[in-house]
Amino acid sequence: MPDPLLAIKDLNVAFDTERGQIRPVRDVSIDIYPGQIVALVGESGCGKSVTALSILRLIPQPPGKILSGSVSMEGRNLLELPEKEMRSVRGKDIAMIFQEPMTSLNPVYTIGDQITETVKLHQRVRNTEAVRIAEDALKDVGIADPRRRLNEYPHQMSGGMRQRVMIAMALSCQPKLLIADEPTTALDVTIQAQILELLRKLQREKGMSILLITHDLGVVAENADVVAVMYASRVVEFAGVEDLFDRPQHPYTEGLFRAVPKLGDLRSRLEQIPGTVPNPARFPGGCKFHPRCHRSRMLAQEARGEDAVEITSAGEKFRVLNRCVKEEPELREVEPAHWARCHQLPQYDRAPVTIPKLEHRREVNSQAVEEGDIEKIIKQEIHA
Amino acid sequence: MIDSVPTDSTPGSLAPAPADSLARDRPLVQVRDLKTHFPIKRGVFSKTVGYVKAVDGVSFDVQAGKTLGLVGESGCGKTTVGRTLLRLIPATSGSVHYRGSDFFAYNGQDLRRLRQKMQIIFQDPVSSLNPRMTIGNIIGEPLQVHGIAKGRAKQEMVASLLNRVGLDPAYAVRYPHEFSGGQRQRIGIARALSLSPDFIVCDEPVSALDVSIQSQILNLLDDLQKERSIAFLFIAHNLAVVEHFSDDVAVMYLGKIVEKAGSKELYSNPKHPYTMALLSAVPEPNPRPARHRIVLTGEVPSPSNPPTGCPFHPRCPLTRQAAKEGNAAESTEITTGGRRLRVLQKCVAEVPPLEQKQGEAGHVAACWVTK
Repeated sequence: MPDPLLAIKDLNVAFDTERGQIRPVRDVSIDIYPGQIVALVGESGCGKSVTALSILRLIPQPPGKILSGSVSMEGRNLLELPEKEMRSVRGKDIAMIFQEPMTSLNPVYTIGDQITETVKLHQRVRNTEAVRIAEDALKDVGIADPRRRLNEYPHQMSGGMRQRVMIAMALSCQPKLLIADEPTTALDVTIQAQILELLRKLQREKGMSILLITHDLGVVAENADVVAVMYASRVVEFAGVEDLFDRPQHPYTEGLFRAVPKLGDLRSRLEQIPGTVPNPARFPGGCKFHPRCHRSRMLAQEARGEDAVEITSAGEKFRVLNRCVKEEPELREVEPAHWARCHQLPQYDRAPVTIPKLEHRREVNSQAVEEGDIEKIIKQEIHA
Repeated sequence: MIDSVPTDSTPGSLAPAPADSLARDRPLVQVRDLKTHFPIKRGVFSKTVGYVKAVDGVSFDVQAGKTLGLVGESGCGKTTVGRTLLRLIPATSGSVHYRGSDFFAYNGQDLRRLRQKMQIIFQDPVSSLNPRMTIGNIIGEPLQVHGIAKGRAKQEMVASLLNRVGLDPAYAVRYPHEFSGGQRQRIGIARALSLSPDFIVCDEPVSALDVSIQSQILNLLDDLQKERSIAFLFIAHNLAVVEHFSDDVAVMYLGKIVEKAGSKELYSNPKHPYTMALLSAVPEPNPRPARHRIVLTGEVPSPSNPPTGCPFHPRCPLTRQAAKEGNAAESTEITTGGRRLRVLQKCVAEVPPLEQKQGEAGHVAACWVTK
């Protein structure tokens, strides 16, 4: 197995708030291999964005604090680098794009100024050369007439165009890793398809790795090689993309898959996960998912009296297994190359605690067509 | 059922007729050739230099107790349709009939009475609730304003509404910031229900919510529709959600409906190339995607300066295909987004009518190329 490009190990992050300390990232370990797309999935407040920002040491300190763990890239621990060296890592080795391109671009500078600034910061080039690099970067992301666009301001562009500019800027220094935090959430589906297609193409051509942060299971399924599912600050499941979708192990992952309406899934009742996404200031004890867990609830019905306990969640009283309330499960390798954090998996007690590492690549890449007989394609495939 | 909201004792003569007989007679809401144009003003004297045709001639029916889904991308005018038909934005022209009477002709008391029956649920559960009012007041205010209940009776109705949407009635004394996004959306739904409407515009009701919460809200809306036979105009950009939720679906592009059909028919037999592209662009939660992704070139043009002829022609793969295969005399070259393309002359010159296509009766699309 080759060495990972980036290895996050046992990362723990805390924030001091008025109501005491909260822990948005708990014991997170993720390896990203060269050329791999790793997806980090979860709902709001699960810690996926804080994990990403911690890699670049972009969380405000104070109130934030990295309690422990390491982020190694090419033999260096990024968490211990002097700030000056870290600055050369940001943008050059690791670049990041955000959900809302408008707030990430400076409204009073032209697109050209902003890209050339990045280029000149990391590469020793003359101004004319920097402009040429910027122009190429815009051309790479499919922007027509790049020379003219360089002189435009962000407000003159549409959302999809601004996201392309963000990507161009991120890629102008040829980073080894791109962190994409909800890169298409603010965009329409047809534009989302364009941007994802572009990211995949650039990733293939330049051999770059991508850490893709998203809540959209469709985006994950079609783009990721490896997936880490986060819930309540922890990684609750980690597997190759096919494995995860074929055989989800954690009840949260299972619930998410069933709750999302799919095309072709006609009007019937959706399954729902009861309760609300927990607030990091008030996580429940034991397994963080137990107040919403259908598995623990089902098993409690058949369990002996002392093995189950009654709890109240979202105004409802029901019984769950005692162990889920009392004891927090570990992330264990419950199947070969498949990690999950749930006591109630039959294999859990025998499964080893290993560091999640997967150099897996997805089996099928989705194919894009621009021209051709799209009518026929639609007929054959949409409801096949 | 634990519901004390009056339906038959509502003041006025708008007592709901049985849904079944009504559905056969006439649609609950009938929208005809609705236009909403916003003036573009420039200069010191705010001279009108043009119009943004946000909604440009939209017609549809919503049947009692049924759901019409309205899909399209941002800027296509779907939200403006919802607001214009409730008169939250003045219409430029066109008509809306509610139970056969002209909604735009009403004024004063009569309008107010009609408004009880037509409500809206907003996308953003944060900005649509007044942060300085308690939940009880937010839900109870419409009851008081419309003279339906006050004091004790109002409190009881608020409690039963909260109960119905899955919230503890004791929450009535709390403020919106104390709730999560999903709970706030439940409060918005309780407010919309308070006047026992039979028509609700749901404007992106779940797109601001977490995935695990979306299905809770969709199921709640579904239950309420069955219980109270409420008709929905369900506006959303998520095609899978719309398919799941709607009986009929209309697709909008640049202020116009470009395709409309029964939900199942539209999704299995799309006729407009824009619908096809939208459908193919939805990422499937399947790690071995079987279908091809149609990547549309270019972006949605500005509604202040829409393309001539068919508004979709600069992005349309079908017209390019047809131009390639057909007679050279019938095609023409256009430049769009820095690319030169050959398309059918007809698509550039004439606006295609929304007409019946091969398929189910009532399956209409506006396209020169498809049959």
